[in-house]
Amino acid sequence: MDDNWDLVCDTYQRALTASDVESKSDPENEPYRSKYRARELLREVRALLGPEEDDEAARLGVVEFRLGVNHTETEEMSAGEEHLVKAARLLERCRLSHDCVSVYIQAENNLGILWADRGEIIIAQTYLESAESLYCQYMKKIGKPPLDPDEHFTTEEQRLTEQERAKRFEKVYTHTLYYLAQVYKHLKQDEKAAQYCHTTLQRQLEYDGYNPVEWAINAATLSQYYLGKQCYMEARHCLSAANVILSKAGQIPSPEAAKETDEAEQERLDHLSQKKAEIARCWVKYCLNLLADARKKLEDNIGELDADLQEELKAERKKQEDEKEKGRKKAVLFGSSDVYDSILAVEEKVDCSLPLDFKEAREVFLVGQNYINEAKEYFQLDGHVTDHIEVIQDHSALFKILAFFEEDYERRCKMHKRRVDMLEPLCKELNPQYYLLVCRQLQFELADTYYEMMDLKVAIGNKLDELDSHTIKKINSLVQAAIKFYEMFLDSLRSPDKKFPEKLEEDVVRPALVAKFHIARLYGKLITTDAKKQLENMQTSLSYYTFLVDYCAENEEAIKSVETELELTKEMVALLPARMERLRIQVSSFS
Amino acid sequence: MCSKTKSSEALKVVVRCRPINRKEDAAGYDRIVSMDVKLGQVTIRNPRANHGELPKTFTFDAVYDANSKQADLYDETVRPLIDSVLQGFNGTIFAYGQTGTGKTYTMQGLWVETDKKGVIPNSFDHIFTHISRSQNQQYLVRASYLEIYQEEIRDLLCKDQTKKLELKENPESGVYIKDLSSFVTKNVKEIEHVMNLGNQARSVACTNMNEYSSRSHTIFVITIECSELGVDGEEHIRVGKLNLVDLAGSERQSKTGANGERPKEASKINLSLSALGNVISALVDGRSTHIPYRDSKLTRLLQDSLGGNAKTIMVATMGPASHHYDETLSTLRFANRAKNIKNKPRVNEDPKDTLLREFQEEIARLKAQLEKRGMLSKKRRRNSRRKKSVDGDNVPEMEAEEDNEENLIEKNVGNYLKEQAERLEQEKAAIQDDHSLMADEKLKLIEEKEKMMEDLTKEQKATELLAVKFKVIL
Repeated sequence: MDDNWDLVCDTYQRALTASDVESKSDPENEPYRSKYRARELLREVRALLGPEEDDEAARLGVVEFRLGVNHTETEEMSAGEEHLVKAARLLERCRLSHDCVSVYIQAENNLGILWADRGEIIIAQTYLESAESLYCQYMKKIGKPPLDPDEHFTTEEQRLTEQERAKRFEKVYTHTLYYLAQVYKHLKQDEKAAQYCHTTLQRQLEYDGYNPVEWAINAATLSQYYLGKQCYMEARHCLSAANVILSKAGQIPSPEAAKETDEAEQERLDHLSQKKAEIARCWVKYCLNLLADARKKLEDNIGELDADLQEELKAERKKQEDEKEKGRKKAVLFGSSDVYDSILAVEEKVDCSLPLDFKEAREVFLVGQNYINEAKEYFQLDGHVTDHIEVIQDHSALFKILAFFEEDYERRCKMHKRRVDMLEPLCKELNPQYYLLVCRQLQFELADTYYEMMDLKVAIGNKLDELDSHTIKKINSLVQAAIKFYEMFLDSLRSPDKKFPEKLEEDVVRPALVAKFHIARLYGKLITTDAKKQLENMQTSLSYYTFLVDYCAENEEAIKSVETELELTKEMVALLPARMERLRIQVSSFS
Repeated sequence: MCSKTKSSEALKVVVRCRPINRKEDAAGYDRIVSMDVKLGQVTIRNPRANHGELPKTFTFDAVYDANSKQADLYDETVRPLIDSVLQGFNGTIFAYGQTGTGKTYTMQGLWVETDKKGVIPNSFDHIFTHISRSQNQQYLVRASYLEIYQEEIRDLLCKDQTKKLELKENPESGVYIKDLSSFVTKNVKEIEHVMNLGNQARSVACTNMNEYSSRSHTIFVITIECSELGVDGEEHIRVGKLNLVDLAGSERQSKTGANGERPKEASKINLSLSALGNVISALVDGRSTHIPYRDSKLTRLLQDSLGGNAKTIMVATMGPASHHYDETLSTLRFANRAKNIKNKPRVNEDPKDTLLREFQEEIARLKAQLEKRGMLSKKRRRNSRRKKSVDGDNVPEMEAEEDNEENLIEKNVGNYLKEQAERLEQEKAAIQDDHSLMADEKLKLIEEKEKMMEDLTKEQKATELLAVKFKVIL
């Protein structure tokens, strides 16, 4: 090696240092000082290299690539493009070689980024997909870890190990996939984008370049994408991997043990338990969606479990079991052998096919409930109000769906009672000035739950020969409770001067009208032996029905949101007076 | 484009454009912004536009052009919000705009000249004037001042500026910042002093004010407690909170390439794998899923300003000249997006199928009852005719009652049937005495029966229709 070569290498290294290290301490008013300096140094290198001869093509290509990146980093896009295109041209012929493949792929990655910045996403896609296929071609035909671009400017003894080369090359390709994920996202090809994110995560795990907490959270988030697509196997796999990798981030000790550590450690642990709770919440959503989808499949046209469907689906599931195994083999799975078994162990704790009967549903429910408790440990009411409430709402939703699978009305009723027991105290504790919308949600859900319980009690009562006074009392108190919470909800819509709005806001039109409709119905449900009282209740009921009809007459845009209810309401408004008339005659005939 | 503005009174977005300045005039820059104050519209023209590129028009709750006075903005837009804060509600005013577009003039103005006072001094005056004029009410006004810079919260009124504060929530008092200091102020002078202290702390902390200020948000919080003796003889306390938010601008962010932080644009690719989480969460659609990324501190802190019964005003400021086309357009777009902020948790309400089914049954039952009544009365009529009796519809209907729900009453009724029959006989006699009434009644009954018959034929159809609808709902 001659002196000239040493100078070339030295200049190149100085350029790298200026670009990557020194630039970090550039002053605010000269943000690109070191980048410009790096550019000068790279130009010197290029001049020293001489003309474009075949044996210099690779080195020139690397310098052009570096110059291209340098220009794009300093917001000179056109110049950057020129250099990158030149690099690609120089390297074109040897792009499948051990020397050039990595820099060629990186040049294409950067051209992809550049065109995406310009809003030309299709051109970006072309470059990145070309980089992707070059990687695959190289790995298939050659496979040997290639030279890192900067190695073109080092002496023999500074050459990297095979292992380091592989690591760097794989990292380049991981970025290609990551950029492609973003390109597909922009092109609204979500499925592909998710697949590329998934592969990016998988490669991070495989090549060990990740932060475990970050990784776990990302995997858990990806599971939520899969939930939306009803891909429960993939979702479960992501969540299980999230659990395993997070636990790698450090044993999460009990609060007692944590007290003894110093402040920074305390902060780290707090951060960890927060992330653990976040992942638990993703698991809860997994259980909820799985149960909800099962219900959707199983319910008949009035929302009850359909036994015929149940049999049909069970038979169908049996048939599909083999295919599922095949599907699993096709999916991208996380992990090297060491974590793979742990992930599998977590997966085995909960099924990923739809539960088809109470027993199966209960198992999913119990897993969900465990994660609810885990989430609640961190998201306590005091300090994390919004999160805490969301967790409780999910808990209530779990019970609600489980009740669907329960055949026994008494036990079903008890499940709804559990919902009331967890929601009612929250509702009391929240200050509506700060949590108005959350309060509304809770009030409505409570009202609905009481309503549901009343329905069940009536159904239970109907099976008896005669309604006993205990059941009547129970039904009436449930009716009162439901009315109370619907009214609370409606009151929350009133203006500061307590007036009910003449025109409801778009997002509360349906809930408000449905609340009125339900209250009307509930007054009709009150049981009394006193005909006068009954007449009063019917009158109240009628006035709520009338409200609905009048409101829709005044605000026609509301009709579409309550079409069915409105139709029924109109009939009730037409029929109730006749019925009341009859009752009135009865009453008058008693007196 | 503007259809949504009317729907949310809670959030008002207004835009203000400053006059062209001498420098811009001298440099010969074109005016590219025009405003229609009546319609609340801003139109911006691209100075580099190709032929055929139309100017863009945005509509807001109000626009204030170069001729607008400070008082116009305050009286029309801000005053009602401050009034509601004094009544115990929460209110927030956001200011957003590139440096040099009059954001400071709009928010602060010139404190010493009455007609050039900005939103902040005017609201201070407003609050303390209201308090001094009130009777039988006791007020406590507290002020806090904080800054959010790169997702870290600093207390601008605290001596120890290095301390990072934490966001917390309490069921009773909502979102709060743990350990944030606040000062009780008794008059305009004192609250101004608090604001000055904070402003000083802010300017000391940063070496390059422009760079820094363009990326930090500040919030000046005024909490107004009012206690009043109610009619019930008890003390009632209302608490209103006013947030004055100075949002970081959009300018100069593109020059921060060294940090890799760039303003988000639709098609840009994020280079760092540390943003993988953002890419993934953008794929998740919101329905019944959990995205484990925290909202920004600013969003969380102002969450009750963006939904619920709080009132919020967003004031966007801009300049009229062509050389800031990109920044001005981006401000308008931001403001336009703000119009549609829907941070509201919705009421979960799923259509209840069982309820509707039950209704259907109920209506069918009611109709059946009436049907029976109709049929029976026909039979009756035949009898009646023979007996030459005019009416009696009401009696047999009761006898025919078989409905479960009526059973309880029915039992009682049974005992009195005889009495009723007698009563009705008497009534009949009375009715016969009044021929005109009888005619009316009869007409009504006939009409009713006709309707019932009609309903009966419709019923089958209605049932079918409902069944279809249930399926749709499911």
